[in-house]
Amino acid sequence: MSHFSWPIDGSIVGLYLLATMVAGLSVRKYVGKVEHFLVAGREMDVYLGIASLAATEFGIVTCMYTAELGYNHGFAGATAGLLEAAAMFLVGYTGFCIKPLRDSGVITIAELFEKRFGPRIRWWSGLVIVLGGLLNMGIFLRMGGEFLVLVCGFDIRYLEIAMSVMLAAVAIYTILGGMLSVLVTDFLQFVVMSAGLLAVTFLTLKHVSWNTLVSTVEQHYGAGGFNPFLNSKLGWSNVAFNGLVNTAAVLTWQTTIARVLSAKDTQTGRRVYTATSFFFVCRFVIPGIWGIAALATLSPEIRASTTSAQAMPLFLSMTVPVGLMGLLIAAMLAADMSTDSSYMLTWGGVIYNDLLAPFRKTHWSERRGLLWNRAIVAAIGIFLLVYGLWYPLSGDIWTYLTVTGTIYLSSMSTLLIACCYWKRANSWGAAGAILTGAIFPVAYLVLEKLDPTKDFALWIGPNISGIAAYVCAGLAMVIGSLLKPKTFESSTTGSFHGS
Amino acid sequence: MEADFWWLVTVACLVWYSTITAYVSIRGAWDIKNMLARLQALDTDHEEEDA
Repeated sequence: MSHFSWPIDGSIVGLYLLATMVAGLSVRKYVGKVEHFLVAGREMDVYLGIASLAATEFGIVTCMYTAELGYNHGFAGATAGLLEAAAMFLVGYTGFCIKPLRDSGVITIAELFEKRFGPRIRWWSGLVIVLGGLLNMGIFLRMGGEFLVLVCGFDIRYLEIAMSVMLAAVAIYTILGGMLSVLVTDFLQFVVMSAGLLAVTFLTLKHVSWNTLVSTVEQHYGAGGFNPFLNSKLGWSNVAFNGLVNTAAVLTWQTTIARVLSAKDTQTGRRVYTATSFFFVCRFVIPGIWGIAALATLSPEIRASTTSAQAMPLFLSMTVPVGLMGLLIAAMLAADMSTDSSYMLTWGGVIYNDLLAPFRKTHWSERRGLLWNRAIVAAIGIFLLVYGLWYPLSGDIWTYLTVTGTIYLSSMSTLLIACCYWKRANSWGAAGAILTGAIFPVAYLVLEKLDPTKDFALWIGPNISGIAAYVCAGLAMVIGSLLKPKTFESSTTGSFHGS
Repeated sequence: MEADFWWLVTVACLVWYSTITAYVSIRGAWDIKNMLARLQALDTDHEEEDA
């Protein structure tokens, strides 16, 4: 039975939504150019960058999958957070790849690739970035709607309505204000989200003691609940795959890298990375504790009748009292809206900047560019709604996200590293890396959906197929680059003069 | 031993996150104010150049 109260909790949520809309819409007057719309005129400073990056990278879907990892694997499920934090800190501290990327003054990674590998590679890079990114974010809305319906105790029939209303609110301010609205609302959302996350975590630890959490993990998973290498469902392949995915995400994930590209200078972008890195531990540990608490408190009957993703929202619906429930819902809405807005904007930016580049050989006015960007963001919103309602998710959420993300993370990270640090890298190697990097995850997604091949896909597993994508993308880059005769180099490079 | 490690990580998360939330809430508001002021100034400069 949910503790959601319309007069009290509904008012808190309504107040938050009103403040967000006002903040998001009030900055639209500063958007006069495409650069303002996509990278906030490159005027973002460190603390706004920290708030924006943290808010963007924590949505309801994040909360759902990290809680699910805690529920299914105990504390060991948070290992991915430790890996991502380490990768982000090292990249920020050393400036590995992100320094040359920001110094180049590009709007997207694919635009940088054009300078080294030519316009075709830019276009194909844009395509896999958009394909991987949109498939990845396709489930966000459904997860967000499911969470809200479960926590508030609404009828499941209202799922579509909850999804549509949330999306419409986000789309309005993103379409009008672009990155400036995203940054300003991200800041507000970071404050509300953090207050809610911390308050609910302290309440959870008061409700379910630390000793109970530890004994629950011991009882269900033994030593494997604390150590991923001893966990039969995780193991070395899962740790290795997560290490690769998270390092590649830090280097090339469009929403993450957008903060570096929006920063007022390279040093600011690097400081945003180092200062935000530990947040990636928090984003796995905090909901992970909620998931373990759900495992400790839900009866075996309830656990048997719900999916692992639904356990944490059910636990919260029964534990969080009136008043705090309003803050929790506002926090989760804040988390989701900041994620959705940034994802729509940054992937829309790739479509405009890279996929439409061949059609912008003549100069487009700022007005026309803004109109196209806004139309693309609106189209992505419609896609999210349709895909979210249609796609049946099988398996756990994190596995789906890592597999779809790998479609582009494997090749784009390879291309970025080669582009920045290997003089011999060329378009043949880049094309080979894009092709091989996409084949493995796409094949896995297709095979696991077909009845005759489902068992084979399960036997291979998402971790091995994912590792194969990264290894083969790297090999394809090396082999392809070495095979291409030097005399071909000048004939394949050119420019769309895109941005 | 491994449970102690996760206890330390959890405490570090709660302390760090509480601190950074308070700090960023104040400094981030300044960043927004300055960012909008710079954009306004740039806009004014362009209008003067156009005139």
